[in-house]
Amino acid sequence: MNKVLLMGQANVGKSVFFNRLAGANVTVSNYPGTSVDFDKGRMLLEGKHVDLIDVPGTFSLQPKDRAEEVAVKMLEQEKDTVVICVIDASKVERGLYLALEIIERGYPVIVALNMWDTAKNAKVKTDVKKLEQILGVPVVPTVATTSEGFKELVSRMREAAPVAIEEITKSVGGDKSETHN
Amino acid sequence: MEKKLSEMKYEEEGIVKEIREGLKDKIAGMGIREGRGIKMMTKQPIKGPAVVAVDRANTSIGLGLADKIIVEVGK
Repeated sequence: MNKVLLMGQANVGKSVFFNRLAGANVTVSNYPGTSVDFDKGRMLLEGKHVDLIDVPGTFSLQPKDRAEEVAVKMLEQEKDTVVICVIDASKVERGLYLALEIIERGYPVIVALNMWDTAKNAKVKTDVKKLEQILGVPVVPTVATTSEGFKELVSRMREAAPVAIEEITKSVGGDKSETHN
Repeated sequence: MEKKLSEMKYEEEGIVKEIREGLKDKIAGMGIREGRGIKMMTKQPIKGPAVVAVDRANTSIGLGLADKIIVEVGK
């Protein structure tokens, strides 16, 4: 694995995430053919420098506009990659939709429940352990603005492994046909 | 009473009753699905997009899309 993709819906804090993980080593580049920017940087992972890419926010992998198309294309081009799926901790259901789509495509995923502090203030609680059990991928609560949870996130990135979507539907007691609705 | 999402008034709330076939996948990522509570936050003039709140999140949605979503509203 030599690349890390930061994916998530719009306004979940991906870019703050990016700046935290990449530090000051940021370069900005332009994706050819579109007006949509993405950021690329490097982060230190277990003593190794790896590329970190800040993908434009997308609601789902069925693109509705140009920016989302870019996001999906970037995901499809990168094969040897780990995806950090950033979810707004107070809007978990919406975020899980995208996370499940990425998992379904066979990528190793680690889920960050970002803005954990805001969710807490709004009295939204998520059973992280349970969610981890269901998804079979690491789930880490984070607060990107203060770096809370980042140590755990980075140290658990190696646990990210592809999970068969059937396993997830089985663990919530559904069958495959119900997921496509 | 049922009405189109696009016909909802400012601050009106309802439950999503029906989404036109083929559209479900498209908007599921925004958290809009049947059975979900939905609230009209703002409507822009001259057929501009509407802003709706679902799951504590505000999402803007085009009126064309909003035409194809049926909402059950109180009263």
